[in-house]
Amino acid sequence: MTDISKEAIAPPRSFLSQDAIQVFYRLLAALLICAVLAVLSDSFLSLGNILNVLRQASLTFFIASGLTLVVLTAGLDLSVGANVALSACIAGTVIHKTGSPALGILTGLACGGMVGLLNGVMVTALRIPSFIATYGMLWVLNGLTYWYMAGETLHGFPAGFRQIGSGYLFGLPIPVYLLLVFLGIGTLFAQRTVWGQEIYAIGANPVAARLSGIPVARRLLLVYAVSGTMAGLASIIFLSRLNSAEADIGESLTLPAIAAVLIGGTSLFGGVGTVFGTFIGALILTLVLNGMNLLSVSANWQPLVTGIIVILAVWLDMKTRRRAQ
Amino acid sequence: MKQTLGYLALPLLMAAALTTPARADGETIAVFTKNQTNPFFQTVRVGADNMAKTLNAKTLQYIPTKPDSIPEQLSQIEDVVVKKPSAIVFTPVDYKAMVPGVEKINDAKIPVVNITDRSAGGKFLSFVGADDYSLGLETARFLLKTLGGKGNIVIIEGVKGSLTNVDRVRGFNDALKENAGAKLLASQPGNYQRLQALQVMENLMQSNAQIDGVLAANDAMAVGAIEALDGANRKAQVIGINGTKEAIDAIKSGKLLASGDYNGFFQGCLGTMMAIRSLRNQPVIAEIVLKPTVITKDNYQPFDVPLEQRSCPTFEEASKLGGK
Repeated sequence: MTDISKEAIAPPRSFLSQDAIQVFYRLLAALLICAVLAVLSDSFLSLGNILNVLRQASLTFFIASGLTLVVLTAGLDLSVGANVALSACIAGTVIHKTGSPALGILTGLACGGMVGLLNGVMVTALRIPSFIATYGMLWVLNGLTYWYMAGETLHGFPAGFRQIGSGYLFGLPIPVYLLLVFLGIGTLFAQRTVWGQEIYAIGANPVAARLSGIPVARRLLLVYAVSGTMAGLASIIFLSRLNSAEADIGESLTLPAIAAVLIGGTSLFGGVGTVFGTFIGALILTLVLNGMNLLSVSANWQPLVTGIIVILAVWLDMKTRRRAQ
Repeated sequence: MKQTLGYLALPLLMAAALTTPARADGETIAVFTKNQTNPFFQTVRVGADNMAKTLNAKTLQYIPTKPDSIPEQLSQIEDVVVKKPSAIVFTPVDYKAMVPGVEKINDAKIPVVNITDRSAGGKFLSFVGADDYSLGLETARFLLKTLGGKGNIVIIEGVKGSLTNVDRVRGFNDALKENAGAKLLASQPGNYQRLQALQVMENLMQSNAQIDGVLAANDAMAVGAIEALDGANRKAQVIGINGTKEAIDAIKSGKLLASGDYNGFFQGCLGTMMAIRSLRNQPVIAEIVLKPTVITKDNYQPFDVPLEQRSCPTFEEASKLGGK
């Protein structure tokens, strides 16, 4: 207990903190997977494939980056995937109806953010545990999306809009630039700003955080709103990359995002973890699927291997942390 | 005890059937589909509504709020047994797990027609469906014919272990075996999801410099694969299955080679038709397995009509569509 409260009032994290060591382990794991795949498959290390992996990891990362902040406060957002689905369907309709991608993008972000804010209100004002509040939200969003789409699919978007998800700039896919930008912003926000530090403090010990004058409720609202807005962003990338939206995209997005956060070393108990770790988590998940595709591993093994990696990552994490303390 | 009562009731029922020539209109048909997310089931529901309207009956739609949820469909069955509709048109969310549910319907003596996925058990007065194996076989044959019987092929599978996927992929593989010049490069899962298919295709393009044909187990994955090919400026012939509106548009614009028509609209029409006919003591067809149609740029027109404007086949047409 005293350890945790000490952590709550600790000075801003330097890059040599325990988190940095955890990130280092994860980077090592990712490199190890890369090395194995490079030996097994000739095409793995090609530039095309590396860009491919980065672009595929970006969608998971966008969702998971906002989610990381929620998990840092010892919360969970189970509604992110359903939020992506609703935001994509609404943003897609706006683009179809108005012909304006800009308006569609704004609507998608706003829809995602609003959902996040509602989650935040349930957690702070109504004091519903985040796991339950966002699980309920998941159903509400699914219901709305299924009703709204009524089994239809939206497809066909303007070429300019398609560039966001499918285009290239100086040889790099545009989602990779966005990935780098949000990785930078997320890392700076969490590690270098007062608000970021307060979020860590809330996760480490909410009571101590409140006693030391941190406006806990407002920070939590912020965190859920950010998570929702990032889901909104992911919905735009999804729309633009897939050229379509349908109601059932959410389910296949939530668990990989949560897995990326956990593999990335962010503790479900709060206060420990980094956005950069989440990026590596998303990368590891993508690498594993990419590798299995390249090696033509039988379809049956793919979920199994992914599951084992999630379990291994969390177990290793708890083991190394215990030793560090 | 129940059984004896049944035997006692049987002559009475038969007498009733003989004395009343046809029951009045206005029957209520409960239509069970698997989810609200797959456009296919939307076409089933529109077909069922269309038929019911034509025959002056009503439909009640039962759809699990969580897609393909076994417990939810089971509890919907419990509700419907209490509500006692005139008949049920039933797609099990899982062809094995829903057998106890079907038995509940049977116990309640509500006549039931099985559509789309063939239930592993229970008593039905009719089955209406499409043949996934021949859909896979015929679409793949069409692709290989277009490619001149040779080329590098990849298969993007649906959900591993699902009945539709097993049969469709078996059809794909049998068509490949017929063409000695065709080479299967990989058979990878896209779980019927567009994004997953797109990513699988992107990955497969990295390790295979030449891909000539893509066999996708549904249209959403076929369109995902086309997005991946477009993104890499590569060309391959792609086929899908289901005949969704999106697939028809892609066939029109030349991006998709063909789609196998799963014909949900007719399944909804015919399932409802059989249910109502049996209520009105008219003959029913015990089994209709719709013949596969490969939708291509030469024959897409009849499929390019909005669902609301399509019309159900007549009973005479129905028997020619694949009745057994």
